[in-house]
Amino acid sequence: MVLPLVRLLSRNRQLSTLTICVVLSIVSLALPMPAKNAVSTVLSGGILGPFKRVARSLVEIGSMREDNALLRRIAVELADDRAALLEYKHENDRLRELLSFFVAFDEEERSEMLPARVIGMPGGRVVERIEVDKGALDGVKKNMPVVVPDGLVGKISSVFEDRALVEPLVSASSAAGVVVERSRVRGVVRPRFGSATTLAGWEMDYVPARSDVRIGDLVVTSGLGGVYPPSLVVGHVTSVVQGPLTMDIRVDLAVRYSTIEQVFIITGRTAGVRVRPENEDELLRELGLINPEEDP
Amino acid sequence: MRTGTYVALVFAAVVLDAAVAPEIAILGARPDFLVLVIVYAGLALGATPAVIGGFAAGLVADSELPDYLGLHALSLSLTGYMTASLWDHLVKSNVLVQCAILFGASLLHDTIYYVGYYRNHIDMFGPFFVRYALLGAAYTAALGALVYVVARWRHWGAIVGDTRT
Repeated sequence: MVLPLVRLLSRNRQLSTLTICVVLSIVSLALPMPAKNAVSTVLSGGILGPFKRVARSLVEIGSMREDNALLRRIAVELADDRAALLEYKHENDRLRELLSFFVAFDEEERSEMLPARVIGMPGGRVVERIEVDKGALDGVKKNMPVVVPDGLVGKISSVFEDRALVEPLVSASSAAGVVVERSRVRGVVRPRFGSATTLAGWEMDYVPARSDVRIGDLVVTSGLGGVYPPSLVVGHVTSVVQGPLTMDIRVDLAVRYSTIEQVFIITGRTAGVRVRPENEDELLRELGLINPEEDP
Repeated sequence: MRTGTYVALVFAAVVLDAAVAPEIAILGARPDFLVLVIVYAGLALGATPAVIGGFAAGLVADSELPDYLGLHALSLSLTGYMTASLWDHLVKSNVLVQCAILFGASLLHDTIYYVGYYRNHIDMFGPFFVRYALLGAAYTAALGALVYVVARWRHWGAIVGDTRT
C-alpha cells in the first residue's frame, strides 16, 4: 500500500509538496510544548517582532492624537473649574471678612444686621444706586442704613418685594451727618462736583473756621439726623483749608464702591429713627447747623 | 512572478496579518491577508508555490500562539492546494469568480483552523463561524475586489489574464 502511494507522490509534484507540508504541520502540532515555545520564540521574535513593534507604535501615535484632544478638553474644563474655584476663594475671603465684622457685634446687634448680596449698580461715572437681593419680604424698609466692614455704604432708598435699592454716600443727592472722631467736630459729608457734573471728591461742609480738624482724622457718622446710627466709619480727612467763615475739608470715603459685593442692612434701628427729610435744609436744621426759624 | 517577489509578498502578508489586521477589524472580523496571498499565488503560480507559501506563512503566524504551532500551516497548505486546483476549472479573470474563491478559501481556512482550535469544545465552533468567519470571509473577498481593480489598472496579467506566469 505504501509503494503505490510513493509512486503517486513521485509522479504528482503538487500532491507530494502538499503531503510534505501537511506532515510537517502535524509534526509541529505534535511537538512537545518546550520545543513549540522555542520555535515560536525564533519565528515570532525574529520575524514578526520588529514589525509588530512598528505597527504598535503607529497605533499608539493614533491613540496619542485622541489622548491629546481629550487632554485639551480636560485642560479647558480644568481652567473653567480653576476660575470657578478662584471665584469661590474670593467669595470665601469676602464672607470671612464679613463674618469677622459681623461677630464683632453683640448678639442683639447681630440680629439686627441682615446680610445682602449686591446684584446691580445702576449709574454712570458715579454709583447712583446699589441694588441688593433683599426686599420687603425680608423685612427691609426705606431708610435702613447699609454698611460693610470698611464703613458706611448708604441707606435704603426704594424697597421692592425681593430686592431693594441703596442710595450710597457717593450719589449726587446723598449727605450724611458726621463727626470727626478725635475732636468731635460736626459737619455734613456730601459729594463735591467739578465742572460738567464730574465728581471731584467728597467734602465735609458746615465746619466753622478754626475748628480742630487735621489731615488723617477719622470721620464717623454722628447719629444726628436720625438716619444713620452713630460711629459708623465714613472716611478720612485728606485736606484742610481754612476759610474766612468755614473750613474747606476734603474727605476720602472708606468704602470702595466698585468692589462691594456683600453688604449688611441694619434693620433694627429703623423704628427709632426718624425719616430723613428730603430737603437738605431740614437736615441741617435738625443738626443745629442753621437757624431752625430761617426760611429755607 | 519571480520567487523573490513572491517571498516578499508572503512576508508582507504575514506582517499585515499580525500587525495591521487587528487594527482594521470590523465588528471583530478581520481580513485574512494570508489567504488573500495564498489564493492569488495559486492563481498566478499554481499549487506548489501556494502550498509552500501557505505552509511557511502559516508556521510564522502560528508562532503567535505556540500551543497550536502547525495548525495555521496545515490549514493554509490545504487551502492553497485546493484553491489552486480549483482555478484550473474556472474563468480566472472574472472578478466575481475571484471574490467567490477568496470567500470560500477564507471559510475553508477558518473551518480547518478553528475545528482544530476548538477540537475540545467543538460546540463553540458554530457561534464563532457565524459571528466572525463569515464576516471575515466577506471582508477578505472585498479586499480581493480591490486587488482586482489595482491589477487591472496595473495590467497584471497573472491576475486579470487567464494564463499563469
